[in-house]
Amino acid sequence: MSDEQKANKPKKRMTATKAAASIGPMVKEFIAGTLKAREERSHKLAYTFIVCHHEEILRALDVLPIWTENFAGICGAKRDAERFLQRAESLGFSRSLCTYALCGLGFDQWREELGEMPPEAPWGGQARPDMMISSGQILCDPRAKWYQAAQQYMPDVPIYNIDLPHPLYDPKNDHKEQWAYYHKYIVEQLRGLVSFLEEQTGKKMDYDRLSELVELTEKTWNLIHETYELRKAVPTPMGTGDAMNTMVPMCFNMGTQVAYDFFVNLKKELEEKIQKGEGEVAEEKYRLMWGGGLPAWFALKDFNYFNSKGASFPVETTYRMVAPLYEMDIPDAKDPIERIAWRWLGYWNFWFDRARKRPGSHPDVERLINHIENYKIDGIVMHEAFSCRTWHVGLIWQLNQLAKIYKPIPVLSLGQNGKQQTKHCELPSLILESDIIDITSYSEADTRNKIDAFIETLESLRQNRADSK
Amino acid sequence: MPEPQSDVVSRVDAMYQDYAGRAKELAGQGARFIGYVCSFVPLEMIAASGCFPFRIRGDVHEPITKGDTLLETIVCPFYRSCFDLMLKGKYDFASGVVIPHACDSMVRSYDVWNYALNLPYTHFVNVPSVCGDSALRFFEAELISFKQSLEKYTGVSITDEKLAHSIRAYNLNRKKARDIYALRKTHPPAILGSDLVKVLSVGASLPVEESNELFDQVLQACSGANKTDAQSGPRILIDGPCLDNMDLIKLIEDCGAQVVGDTTCNGARDHFPLTDEIRPPVQALADRYLNKLNCPKTYRDNQAGTFEKDADNRFGDIESYAKDYSADGVILYVYKYCDPFGFEVPARKTYLESKNIPVLYLEDLYSSGATGQLKTRIQAFLEMIG
Repeated sequence: MSDEQKANKPKKRMTATKAAASIGPMVKEFIAGTLKAREERSHKLAYTFIVCHHEEILRALDVLPIWTENFAGICGAKRDAERFLQRAESLGFSRSLCTYALCGLGFDQWREELGEMPPEAPWGGQARPDMMISSGQILCDPRAKWYQAAQQYMPDVPIYNIDLPHPLYDPKNDHKEQWAYYHKYIVEQLRGLVSFLEEQTGKKMDYDRLSELVELTEKTWNLIHETYELRKAVPTPMGTGDAMNTMVPMCFNMGTQVAYDFFVNLKKELEEKIQKGEGEVAEEKYRLMWGGGLPAWFALKDFNYFNSKGASFPVETTYRMVAPLYEMDIPDAKDPIERIAWRWLGYWNFWFDRARKRPGSHPDVERLINHIENYKIDGIVMHEAFSCRTWHVGLIWQLNQLAKIYKPIPVLSLGQNGKQQTKHCELPSLILESDIIDITSYSEADTRNKIDAFIETLESLRQNRADSK
Repeated sequence: MPEPQSDVVSRVDAMYQDYAGRAKELAGQGARFIGYVCSFVPLEMIAASGCFPFRIRGDVHEPITKGDTLLETIVCPFYRSCFDLMLKGKYDFASGVVIPHACDSMVRSYDVWNYALNLPYTHFVNVPSVCGDSALRFFEAELISFKQSLEKYTGVSITDEKLAHSIRAYNLNRKKARDIYALRKTHPPAILGSDLVKVLSVGASLPVEESNELFDQVLQACSGANKTDAQSGPRILIDGPCLDNMDLIKLIEDCGAQVVGDTTCNGARDHFPLTDEIRPPVQALADRYLNKLNCPKTYRDNQAGTFEKDADNRFGDIESYAKDYSADGVILYVYKYCDPFGFEVPARKTYLESKNIPVLYLEDLYSSGATGQLKTRIQAFLEMIG
C-alpha cells in the first residue's frame, strides 16, 4: 500500500457491541472462502443479490453465493471504489446509474481483461463466478440489468433471472385477493431456479435438506426480530451504526448455523448491556430512527458523530429484512419452496393490513409510525443516495405523508388569548445526501453542519416538551 | 380530394400545441380519460371499459417545481416532468392513471402519484420482468385483476367481445402508424420526422377511432412523390425510451439531417407489434405486452450463450429498422437516471458498431437548457457520418 493510500485509509467506526465488531473479520473470511473455492474448484460460485429468499436453495445444492453488492460496499467502505467506477464510465456506463453495479462491472471487466485480479484488489478481490443469479423483483432495475451487462465481459457465465413480484399497496383493494396467483408464479420461478442449479452443479436437490435449511432460516428470522426488539430499551444498547454491520449475517448467511449462532450471541450481549444500563451512547439525549436509505458506506463514522452529540439510533428501516413469521397471516405449507414463497409475500405485505386501519396511511408510513411509538423516537434521519432509485425514491413523500397524518410531539405555544396552549407538531427529520459508495458525492463538513443544525432542533423540542409536562 | 399535406401538418401542429384540447372537450361532455406514460399499459383494456386512454406528455420547457416537493431529483427527468404537469393541473380532466411495472422510477413513485393526485381511479399493472410460460400465465391473471379493477370503477362489464373489438381498433391504429412510418423510406422522406412524432403524439391523446381518422388523413395527404422540403442530409434513426421532446428532433433536422426512423417507446417500440386477433383476448394481450414489446426492462434468456447472438436477439430490431429506413447512423438517446437503458448503452453501441452503423450516445436531462450542448455533439456526429 502506498503512503498516500495509507494516509487515506478510513479509520474504523467505533461499535457499541462486540458482535458488530466481529463482522469485519467474518466478511473477510467469507471472501477468502470464495477465492479458495474458486482456486480449488470445491464449490460452484454464484454471483447473486441479497433479499431474494433463495439462500436455502443455493446452500442445499452447495452453491457458494458471492454477494456482489457486498463487495462493492467493501470497496466503498475502504474508499477504493473510484477506480472501478471510472473504469465503468470509460466503458460507457453513466455515473448516474447504481454505483454498486458500476463498481462491480468496472471490477469484472478489469479482472477479465487482465486474466487475474486487478492490482491491490480489496480483500483479495471478487472471484470469477460459475453462474449469475439475478432478480429485479419489483424494486431494482440494476439487479435485473447488472449481470446481463456483465455478460458482455463474461459471455460464458450463464444467468438465471428470478422474477419475484408481490402486490403493491392499494388502499381500495385487498392484496390477499391476488396472493394465490402471485404465490403460484413465485413457486414456479423458484422451481426454475432449482432446475437451473441442478443443471449447473450436476446434483439433485435434497428436499429434506432444503426443508431443514428453511426451518433454520425461519428460526433465525424470529430470533433476529426478538433480538432487535431489545433495542427498545432506554438507553438503547445498540444503534443503527452497529446494525449496518449485523446486517451481514442477516443478509449474507441465512440458512446457515453461523447466522443463527451470531444472533444468539448478539441477543445475549444486548440482554447483558440492558441489565447493566449500558447504552449505545453514555448519556442518551435523543433517540433517532434511520428512516430510509442505504448508508454511505465510506462515512459510517457519521454515526459516531451523532453519538457524540448524545443521539442514539434504536431502530432503522434499512436492512431490517425480517419480520416475525408468527405475526404473518400466511398459509402453512409443508413443501419448502411453497413455504419460501409464502414467506416472501408475507414479508413484503407485512404492513398492509395495519396501514388500511389508519386513514391516509401507507405500509411504509405505518412502519415509521410503529417504530416511532415502540422505540420512543424523537427524530428521523434519512439518506438520499443519488445513484439508487430502489431505496431512495419515495422517501420525501413518506415524510410528507407522515407529517399529514401523525403529529406526536407536544409543544407549548401562546394562543390567541395569550394563554399557553399545547400543539402537536410532526417529528423533525433530516435528509442527508450523498451516495452508497461514490465518495465524490460526499462532503464531511456539509454533512456535519446539517447534523449540528438537526441536533439543535431536537434540543429545542426537548426543552419545549419538558416545559409542556 | 385529399387535404393538402401542409394543411394536415398545420392542423396536427395546432393539436400538438394544444395537446389534450380535444380530450378536455370530450371530458367536458362526460368522457372519462385514463392517463398513462408507458407502453406497457394495455390500452385495449381501458378502451373496452368505455374509458379513453390518454398518453401523458412531459414538457422540456416547463421547469419542474411542484413535483420536486414530493419526488426525488434522482427520478427519470421525463417521468418527473409528467408528474409535475399532473400536479400543476395540466391534465386535470383525467379521471385516473395506470402505471405499469416498467422501471424503478415508475414503481417506486407509484404511491406518490396515487396519494398526491388523489384521482378517482389509480391502478398498478405488475408486468413480469422475465418471459416464459409461467410469466405469461401470471401476467394473464394480473390482466384479469386489471379488468376487474376497471369494471369496479366504471360499472361496465368488459366482455371478450368488447375486448376483441378494442384489440381490432388498436391493431388498425398501429397498422396505420406503420404506414405513416413507411412514408419516410423515400429519399427524401415524404413526411418529416418531427411531423411524424407530432402525429403519433396527437393520436395518443385521442379516442382510438378519432386517432385512426387522423392517421388516414395524414396518409392521404402525404402519400405520393416527395412532398417535404427535407434536405438530402444524413438519415438518422433514434433509439431510446419515450421521446416526446420535439426540440431534439427539430435540432437534428435543423442540423441538416432527417429523422427517418426510431425504436422509441412512443414510436416503433409501441406502434409496430400487433395483438393476435385469433387467441382469447386476455391471453393475446398478455402475449403482446410481455413478449412483443422489446423493452430493456424485460429480461430474455441468453440461450445462445454468446454475447453476439444475445445482442442479435435483443437489438436486432434496431439494425433491421436502420436497414429498412436506410439510416446512416443511430442516435442512442437516454435519460439520466434511466437504469434499464443506461445499463445497455455499451452493449447497444458495441452491437451497432459491429454492424457498421455509426452511433452517437446522448445522455439528456429532459430540459430545454441542455439543448445547446446536444447541438454541438449532434453537429460533430453528422459531420463524421455525412
